[in-house]
Amino acid sequence: MSAITSIGRPKTAHDYAIRQMVGTIGKYVLVYGLGLAFVLFSTLPLIWGISTALKVPSEVYAFPPSWIPTTLTFENFFLVVQNKNLLRAFLNTLIIASGTTFIALVVGVLGGYGFARYHFPGRNMLLWSVLFTKLFPRVVVIVPFFITLRNLQMMNSYQGLILVYLMVTFPVAIWLLKGFFDKIPVEIEEAAVIDGCNLPQLLWYVILPMSRPAMIAVAMYSFILAWNEFLFALVFTNGLERRPLSIALAFFIDENGIRWGELMAASVVMSLPAIIVFSFAQKLLVRGLSDGAVKG
Amino acid sequence: MVATHRTAARRSQSISLKAQRRRRAYLLVAPAVVLIALMMIYPIVQTIYFSFSKVQLPALRTTFVGFDNFVRILNNPETGPLVRRTLVWIAGSVALKMTLGLVAALVFNAKVRGTVWMRVLVILPWAIPSVVGANLWRWIVQTDAGVLNQTLRSWGLESWALNWLGDPSTAMFTVIVAYSWGGFAFVMLLILARLQGLPEDINEAARVDGANWWQIFRYITLPSLSGVLAVALILEIVSGMNSFDTLMIMTGGGPANATRIWGIDIYKTGFTEFNLGGAAAQSVLMFAAVIVVFSVYGGVNSRIARRQGEAA
Repeated sequence: MSAITSIGRPKTAHDYAIRQMVGTIGKYVLVYGLGLAFVLFSTLPLIWGISTALKVPSEVYAFPPSWIPTTLTFENFFLVVQNKNLLRAFLNTLIIASGTTFIALVVGVLGGYGFARYHFPGRNMLLWSVLFTKLFPRVVVIVPFFITLRNLQMMNSYQGLILVYLMVTFPVAIWLLKGFFDKIPVEIEEAAVIDGCNLPQLLWYVILPMSRPAMIAVAMYSFILAWNEFLFALVFTNGLERRPLSIALAFFIDENGIRWGELMAASVVMSLPAIIVFSFAQKLLVRGLSDGAVKG
Repeated sequence: MVATHRTAARRSQSISLKAQRRRRAYLLVAPAVVLIALMMIYPIVQTIYFSFSKVQLPALRTTFVGFDNFVRILNNPETGPLVRRTLVWIAGSVALKMTLGLVAALVFNAKVRGTVWMRVLVILPWAIPSVVGANLWRWIVQTDAGVLNQTLRSWGLESWALNWLGDPSTAMFTVIVAYSWGGFAFVMLLILARLQGLPEDINEAARVDGANWWQIFRYITLPSLSGVLAVALILEIVSGMNSFDTLMIMTGGGPANATRIWGIDIYKTGFTEFNLGGAAAQSVLMFAAVIVVFSVYGGVNSRIARRQGEAA
């Protein structure tokens, strides 16, 4: 019957409304079903990790596995906080990530402003080089960096690690800040220049206060990149002294094997800054990651 | 006379202004240039130099050996399997990430109320450090006490409880899943950003004309995504080529070299076998491969741009 109507004569508003309703319900079912599947795929491993971190050792290996700890304990977290090696690694990461973020910000503000406001011979080539540094495979540079750091006696030092970490952070800082400066209207600066502002004053009193949100986002992003870095940390440190958190967690093992409860607690602690930052600056990060690659 | 004099003066003034501006610009970008030189040009030159040398530890004395390192790679019976494993790794992880990313983007782009919290949760694996993700999966797929095998056992599927990372036949697959788990959200975000910039009225018009969802997807949505899909593809291929963290932490390239792909191989050649010349030669080859990938992408990109230019 409905087939005949649909062929025979123009659809009535009633038919259309029903079809639309069925379509909407179908869409809801499909979107919610698939969406939940993705949510489960993404979060179940995380939930399992958190659950392990909150269990007493005997329950960690329980069969069948229990997703909700029967006896909730923060013992693992206390152990992590008291673990001297982990604390030192935490401090190392903090120092290295802060140092590299600071330098990346300085280079990023100067370079980003230069690229945004001035046209000069070699500008595009330099911009592409910055982008290429970002996309450049890091594995390729470990041999020359290793030899250079050895020659400079900077192996296993904060300075050395900050220097190599810059390769990860400064291109992002320049691209993101350039994108931001591009959007600041030039008229504001022209007014300042007419009032007798020189370049450093202009940057310090006019540009920086205006770009505070962008600076914060760039700082957070670069901090997280440094915080998470693993390959450089692995190659350019040895021993416990300057070892960052990422290495400490990767080789979290002692004579008794891996204490999974403690490892998961430490992992939760290490993830917190990253999760906080990503939830704040998500949009900007995606733009920063895709912008340079899409243009041109 | 006076007028020409004045314009000349103005011109010379504007030239000096221009020079001043230029000097200022170079001053501003100077730190960036130094870093580029330090981080890219210098390492590339160094790597090429080392690839033709034998580097002896601990003094790092280099002796020129010509193409020795490359010949050795060519003659190494391990090179074939290494290339094959790397290709499997790239193809597997890129396919999985792109599929998951595209489907997730389409799902979360649907204008359905109450899906924002889902999107936030789906991004989480991308946000956490790769070290954490790798350890998490190592614990999940652990043979004896891992939740995956324990769950399978409790369901009576004893024979499905495999030694996921310890068995060469499943290790690669397992790490690909873990790696894609941590990375697909990035592809999703890229595509989602593009989808949200697309005008909705075209889809509406097509729907009124009687197009079904597949036709809309195939002939409207997909073509307008071609640019961002190409970008995602290229970024994922390159990151797959040099990916290191997840593999190194989960398997260390084992068992029996089953997950020893290119990036791991460079690290191990250089820093556990202390053959820095060999590692440099491999790095040069990988660098060349990355250049090839980017050039192919550049070519395709400009062709797409030209075609779109013609259409418009």
